[in-house]
Amino acid sequence: MLTMHDVSKIYRTELIETYALRSFSLEVSAGEFVAITGPSGSGKTTFLNVAGLLEEFDSGSYLLEGQDVRGLSDDVRSRLRNERIGFIFQSFNLIPDLDVYDNVELPLRYRRLSGADRRERIGSALELVGLASRARHMPSQLSGGQQQRVAIARAIAGDPAFLLADEPTGNLDSLMSRQVMDLLEQINDMGTTILLVTHDPELARRAQRNVHLVDGQISDFRVYEPRPAASAGSAGTAGAAHI
Amino acid sequence: MSLDIRPTLSALLRNRTGAVLVAAQVAIALAVLANATYIIVQRLETIHRPTGIDENNILVVESAGFTPRFNQTASVQEDLAYLRAAPGVIAATATNSIPLSNGGNNDSLVTRPGTARHGYINDIEVDEQGLDTLGVRLIAGRNFRHQEIQPALTRNDAAHFVPVIIVSRALGEYLFPQQNPLGKQVWDAFDHPATIIGVVDPVMGAFPASDHPERVFFLPRMPDEFIVVRYLVRTQPGERDTVARLIESHLASSNPDRVLNFVRPLSYFKNLSYLGDSSMELYLVTVTALVIAVTSLGVFALATFNVSTRTKQIGTRRAVGARRRDVVQYFMVENGLITSAGVLAGCGLALAAGYWLSVRYALPRLELYYLVGGVVLLWAIGQLAAWQPARRAASVQPSVATRSV
Repeated sequence: MLTMHDVSKIYRTELIETYALRSFSLEVSAGEFVAITGPSGSGKTTFLNVAGLLEEFDSGSYLLEGQDVRGLSDDVRSRLRNERIGFIFQSFNLIPDLDVYDNVELPLRYRRLSGADRRERIGSALELVGLASRARHMPSQLSGGQQQRVAIARAIAGDPAFLLADEPTGNLDSLMSRQVMDLLEQINDMGTTILLVTHDPELARRAQRNVHLVDGQISDFRVYEPRPAASAGSAGTAGAAHI
Repeated sequence: MSLDIRPTLSALLRNRTGAVLVAAQVAIALAVLANATYIIVQRLETIHRPTGIDENNILVVESAGFTPRFNQTASVQEDLAYLRAAPGVIAATATNSIPLSNGGNNDSLVTRPGTARHGYINDIEVDEQGLDTLGVRLIAGRNFRHQEIQPALTRNDAAHFVPVIIVSRALGEYLFPQQNPLGKQVWDAFDHPATIIGVVDPVMGAFPASDHPERVFFLPRMPDEFIVVRYLVRTQPGERDTVARLIESHLASSNPDRVLNFVRPLSYFKNLSYLGDSSMELYLVTVTALVIAVTSLGVFALATFNVSTRTKQIGTRRAVGARRRDVVQYFMVENGLITSAGVLAGCGLALAAGYWLSVRYALPRLELYYLVGGVVLLWAIGQLAAWQPARRAASVQPSVATRSV
């Protein structure tokens, strides 16, 4: 699904070079739920940007579903983001002037899907996140948890191969955080690969695998026992195994 | 390709203050542009109406005697002999008025003696070289003969008329509708008869600002003795200014009993006649250009503001799959909607302003193709003004979506 080998990402100014990712290697299989953890400045978001084709990297190789993404044109990267990747952001990133329906529709319009196809996908996505009745509400009329669920609907409406979630519960209270995590687990159980960036170890424990970053390098792997299939919504059990 | 009009429009309607202000600006600009252009074109058409006169190669000379010894008849004969022999001169005539200058003489002609008279008709006194000097074309009949040129009027004989005249085609049609005016008789204000011996066309008289400047007739007569003497001098093309210097130098010193008032191109007097039109034209062009510039700046400013305040939105759009051209298209569609609303409102405003102008200032009603032209121009200017901000929006990186600020 996702194979990074020896990937480095350097931010340069006139005076200094900062390695955001240094010789970073990671393999994620289809259907996995992987948490990326680490302190602030450890390179979590840079990893997410590179993995999500939001930024280029400087060296190494990155295969996304077997395709080498290095040197792809901006249009091809946009298409891959649109069709294969779903994004969930910490601050939801909904368009405030568009209602729920139009927000979820956004990536589908960029894919040039027909109106009927869009309607069907939007309906299913909103149904899944439990907001079908709020389709014509504006983001400002929704709670934070509801807004994040709209963002999740937007991310999954295009049926992506994997979801990249950047601190998806960072702006939510604990109840709403739990609801969002339950939803992500539910989506993962349906076969979608999820990469979750978080600094919260409790959330990371709900993933099947935890990759810990420090200074742009992997410092630690933890593998947790798989969730029972029927236990979607419950926390993963921490059968920690250091590698 | 889908233009995403519906979501763009609904987003605009939810955040409409800036858009409404810019649309209003576009509407006002269109009203000004359409009506001002229409008025400018009308003025230009007026200024550039065919006069039938070789106006670029004609000089106007004016002199005035100022001593008791001054003999005008002798002076005129001497001056004309000099002018006609001067190098670069095609023809010269003495005259009572300056064509196209908005100053001159009028008379009233009727086709039967003793009948009621309506309005005045411009008359121009010339000699047998008058038509050649002006460069007007004789389309029927003949020119004046030397022996037909009447002596100047005197203070004791101011009512004398002439036996023959040449009329413009427009005057002939006015006096004798559906008839050939050649050979017909007309009567002046004192019921003195004259026979029409020639017809010229086109020609404009001394009063271009009048309702019928093309109604004019020529009298074969030397200029009155109790006014200043004017000469019209037609030069070879390109020789006008050289000839002007030459004759000014000669005439200024050839007769110590008169003063040379001026030697000027005929175009100088024409420009003076149209000074109001030219000034109005310049004023309208300036105002219209300023209004369009301010409108363009308004569109540019709104688009720039929208881009700078939506950086994260743009990054999010890029993250979920928008290509750079999708972002450009989004802003161009948004601006297109604002401009379209503006030009739509502007059409109504322009028509209302056109109607008001036509009623208030007796101008012709605004013609629709000026409105269509204005719509196209403003729409294009609006899109051009939004192009650079839209391109800037497209350069926003998708990684902006994950930044916390």
